[in-house]
Amino acid sequence: MDGMAGQKSSLTWAVNIAALLLVVLWTIPTAGLLVSSFRDRDQISTTGWWKSMTSQEQSSFVRTGAAEDQVQDGDLYVLEGDLVGEGQSLSAWGTSARDPGAFAPGESTDVDGATLTVTEDGQYRMESTAPFEMRRGERIFVITESPPSFTTENYSRVLNAQGIGRAFMNTMTVTIPATVIPILIAAFAAYALAWMEFPGRALLTAAVVGLLVVPLQVALIPLLRLHNEIGIGKGYLGIWLAHTGFGLPLAIYLLRNYMVGLPREVIESARVDGATEFQIFRKIILPLSFPALASFAIFQFLWVWNDLLVATVFLGNTRDELVMTGVLRELMGSRGGDWEILATSAFISIAVPLLVFFAMQKYLVRGLLAGSVKGG
Amino acid sequence: MKRILINSAAMIALTATAAQAQLIFEPGEDERFNWASLEEFGAAHSGLEGQRFNILGPWLGGDQELFESVIPYFEEATGAEVEYNGSDSFEQQIVIDSEAGSPPDVAVFPQPGLAAGLAAKGQLKPLPDEMRQWIVDNYAAGESWADLVTYAGPEGEEQLYAFPYKADVKSLVWYVPENFEDAGYEVPETLEDLKTLTEQIAEDGETPWCIGLGSGGATGWPATDWVEDLMLRINSPEDYDAWTTNELKFNDPKVIEAIDEFGWFAKNGDFVAGGVGSVAATDFRESPAGLFEFPPNCYLHRQASFIPTFFPEGTMIGEDVDFFYFPAFSEVDLGQPVLGGGTLFSVLTDNEAAMAFIEFLQTPIAQEIWMAQTGFLTPHTGVNTDVYGDDTLKRMGDILLNATTFRFDGSDLMPGAIGAGAFWTGMVDFVGGQSAEDSANAIQSTWDTLQ
Amino acid sequence: MELFLLAVSTIAIGVLGCVAWFWGSNYVLDSILPPRGPNAGANIRRAGMVRPWLFLGPAILFLGIYLVYPVLNSVWLSLMNASSSRFVGGDNYGWLIGDSKFQESMINNFLWLLVVPALSTLFGLIAAQLTDRIRWGNFGKSLIFMPMAISFVGAGVIWKLIYEYREAGAEQIGLLNAIVQALGGNPQTWLSLQPWNNFFLMIVLVWIQTGFAMVILSAALRGIPEETIEAAVLDGASPWQIFFKIKVPQIMGTIAVVWTTITITVLKVFDIVFVMTNGQWGTQVLANLMYDWMFRGTPDYGRGSAIAIVLMVLVLPIMIWNIRNVRKEMR
Repeated sequence: MDGMAGQKSSLTWAVNIAALLLVVLWTIPTAGLLVSSFRDRDQISTTGWWKSMTSQEQSSFVRTGAAEDQVQDGDLYVLEGDLVGEGQSLSAWGTSARDPGAFAPGESTDVDGATLTVTEDGQYRMESTAPFEMRRGERIFVITESPPSFTTENYSRVLNAQGIGRAFMNTMTVTIPATVIPILIAAFAAYALAWMEFPGRALLTAAVVGLLVVPLQVALIPLLRLHNEIGIGKGYLGIWLAHTGFGLPLAIYLLRNYMVGLPREVIESARVDGATEFQIFRKIILPLSFPALASFAIFQFLWVWNDLLVATVFLGNTRDELVMTGVLRELMGSRGGDWEILATSAFISIAVPLLVFFAMQKYLVRGLLAGSVKGG
Repeated sequence: MKRILINSAAMIALTATAAQAQLIFEPGEDERFNWASLEEFGAAHSGLEGQRFNILGPWLGGDQELFESVIPYFEEATGAEVEYNGSDSFEQQIVIDSEAGSPPDVAVFPQPGLAAGLAAKGQLKPLPDEMRQWIVDNYAAGESWADLVTYAGPEGEEQLYAFPYKADVKSLVWYVPENFEDAGYEVPETLEDLKTLTEQIAEDGETPWCIGLGSGGATGWPATDWVEDLMLRINSPEDYDAWTTNELKFNDPKVIEAIDEFGWFAKNGDFVAGGVGSVAATDFRESPAGLFEFPPNCYLHRQASFIPTFFPEGTMIGEDVDFFYFPAFSEVDLGQPVLGGGTLFSVLTDNEAAMAFIEFLQTPIAQEIWMAQTGFLTPHTGVNTDVYGDDTLKRMGDILLNATTFRFDGSDLMPGAIGAGAFWTGMVDFVGGQSAEDSANAIQSTWDTLQ
Repeated sequence: MELFLLAVSTIAIGVLGCVAWFWGSNYVLDSILPPRGPNAGANIRRAGMVRPWLFLGPAILFLGIYLVYPVLNSVWLSLMNASSSRFVGGDNYGWLIGDSKFQESMINNFLWLLVVPALSTLFGLIAAQLTDRIRWGNFGKSLIFMPMAISFVGAGVIWKLIYEYREAGAEQIGLLNAIVQALGGNPQTWLSLQPWNNFFLMIVLVWIQTGFAMVILSAALRGIPEETIEAAVLDGASPWQIFFKIKVPQIMGTIAVVWTTITITVLKVFDIVFVMTNGQWGTQVLANLMYDWMFRGTPDYGRGSAIAIVLMVLVLPIMIWNIRNVRKEMR
């Protein structure tokens, strides 16, 4: 027995490490997005996100003051100023774009007859015996070390976006009925396909599998036309019906296969006891199928939550009808170049689905509920 | 004294917020605007009180706000109510909505091809015939614009189906003036000079061009702009038009020459930042960043007037970066061709107010309100160009007004399968190492299979 | 608030409506054909023939309108020309066979079908088994599940941060190239590196679908009766033996379901290809090709629908396999 225990603990270690490895591998890409959502656009496109934790070398330029900024110091004309921002430190500087790091801090050089000195703390001083006449300042190129910097500006931009609260409500209004209704309808159908005998059962099951593959795009035009013709038009009723229809095949398929696996004896004995099919369904099948119902609920919720296509087609996209994905898309702008907003909105829209996942997780375990019928 | 000051400041603040919600420029105040045209329009369309219609377009975010700043003037003048909705999947949505029988009243098409397709199916309402003549008379290169919006209707008869409002210029080369000064380069006046400059920069051990074709699902389109611009500089405008309708085959030597000309720039490892391999892989949004690096990753970047959106934050156009007209060959006598784009407004329902809105767009004031802000160019010759929000816009506007030939982005005129498909892919393959002949043949063979 | 009431009342009406239908129709059936009295036997038999259709009714109605009708519509459109104004017979299908992009898509779809379901199911099974045995299992599960919750646009950005290319020697912002460069290799343009770019796209889908497989398989694994495992432990079976010889065979049915579902997702794969390459550099797949023809520029419904029909026909083997399975279950 001792040997078993030793073996067991080393196995536990192996399992823990393997799980950790898998989780890390799966999380790295998302972690990149999370880190990026706290950076600004220029940072995202210049350095890798994994380097955002360490201080970064950055080259940029600063303009000196122009003629109007000069002060007279004895018989010298002087321009002075700061080259580095708060927390940055200067590592090199230059006066030509081609060689931005030509000089070390503390050195001096000649610029058009003036002497330019840059000190180690990032102050520059340009002295000349003749008055400066340029209308725009000279460029001084600096290579600076900046400490890691993060911003929550992206989040405040997204969360304060116009109409986001309304959109949240709209999304909820779309999502909840579009999750609950298909589950109900599918559960009954799945029970019939799993436990009732009738001609055409196999064919019908196969047809459901076949319908899983129907590309949504072919359904949009005929269905919207149908909605317009029968007077539903664009609106919540239309989108609920559409999501129900599109979600049913997966729901029926998952639930049927789960229900088939339920213990036959339980159902047979209930039938012998004179229970009606409806009672069997409600008292035995439904409670036993909770894990499958919960997992499908999660998937349907996710799908509806993240959907933009069905929403724009069946709900319309006026201000009052916009869903979350629609508002986020608007924030990203016409050309979709705002990656920082993309990253941020991805994390904001993921919050609710994850909450649902956590809430549903305890229902995913069949053992808990199945225990009650083990004796039967 | 102090008290009075505070009071008047509060007053200004009050009136400012009241005006902001409605009209961004107070009518009658700024003399540069053509307010008379607004009054005139209002007087002619007084019977629209209380009518409403909606507009569906591709503009989102900033562009949407700008367009929505123009609408209140129409509402003020007519009393009608307008609602604009933007969609990032506009192309798809307009097709679905109109096919399903619930079209918007007005649609804003970014591509003539899509509008022509819907016109052929009878989804668009024809515009009055006088409007065609109006475009010819009042737009610079008016014939080009009028042809752009004249399509065959469901019965095959040619009619005006859209009105062009808002243009952009694609024939621009962006550069950093101070980098040019440092290196002693000069802005080229001819395409020959531009090529010499390219070679010179490369000889100096630097990289002349930043070219990026990446655009996610639309990867390749920046190359089509290059080829179109060069097409207009090698061949006649008539050849260009024939090319967009495939009367001039895609694998015609004239087209292949233009593709090869693009290859001269893009397929030379010494001429492009990151080497030829990175041309197709670099995102067009990130491509101009090379101009602003130290040392510069490149000195030149050819891209349309919208690209400043993707410059680093705080970049001042005219100071930190500037542009010049993508020049024409001096040896070839083709004038000053300009490649551009624009958006086209169509009416899809029998809404009276919607039709009036199209007429509103013809007034100088409808153009000037947006001109005075940002991101708007117009070929309308009747507007006051002093209104342009900044000097840069004015200079771009001048390129448009001085154009001897204006041609619309050819890939938008070709059938979708070519202009938004085979042409893109073909250019990616071309940059990837295929010969111009092979790429052109591939595109032509796709075109041959179209019904 | 008004909206909230609307949503709540919809749920209530929807749920009550469904319950009323199922309960009410069953009740009516039982009163017409009571399962007792002199004709009990005959009544039960006859009611048994009707009842399945009461249970299936609403589902069949929905499937019929929202899926079957559009499919029939597509079949019709696929026999028409681009603007659906003229009957062209099989022309669109004839064109498909000769089109090089279609051939490329078929080959790529086939590759996707081989790789993605297998890897997703495998990783999902491993993840389910591992996370069920550790304390922080639920937390680990949530992290592996997270990709499923991210919209495809988000996924596009995430993987851009992995595959992004910068020229050799430059600061890499793509993780993969940063690693390659740190190890002394040359950075690659992964998404245009034929034919491997297909596999880089597949990895994205595996990354997303593993969460799905894990959730379903984990529920199945936990459903295995304790007694069978305890018996095996007493017999001295090693953990590997328990897993492969006891657990896996017991959940074979669920594995098949997961495999099938992912296979169908793969057939429909569109978003990933659309966002990352749009089918360029030899990565075209059927669903994206269909989208191109249906909605890009000037739409061609004929060809778009023909591709959709091909897509739907490809699922036939899975349907046949399912019919056989159901027959077997019945016996």
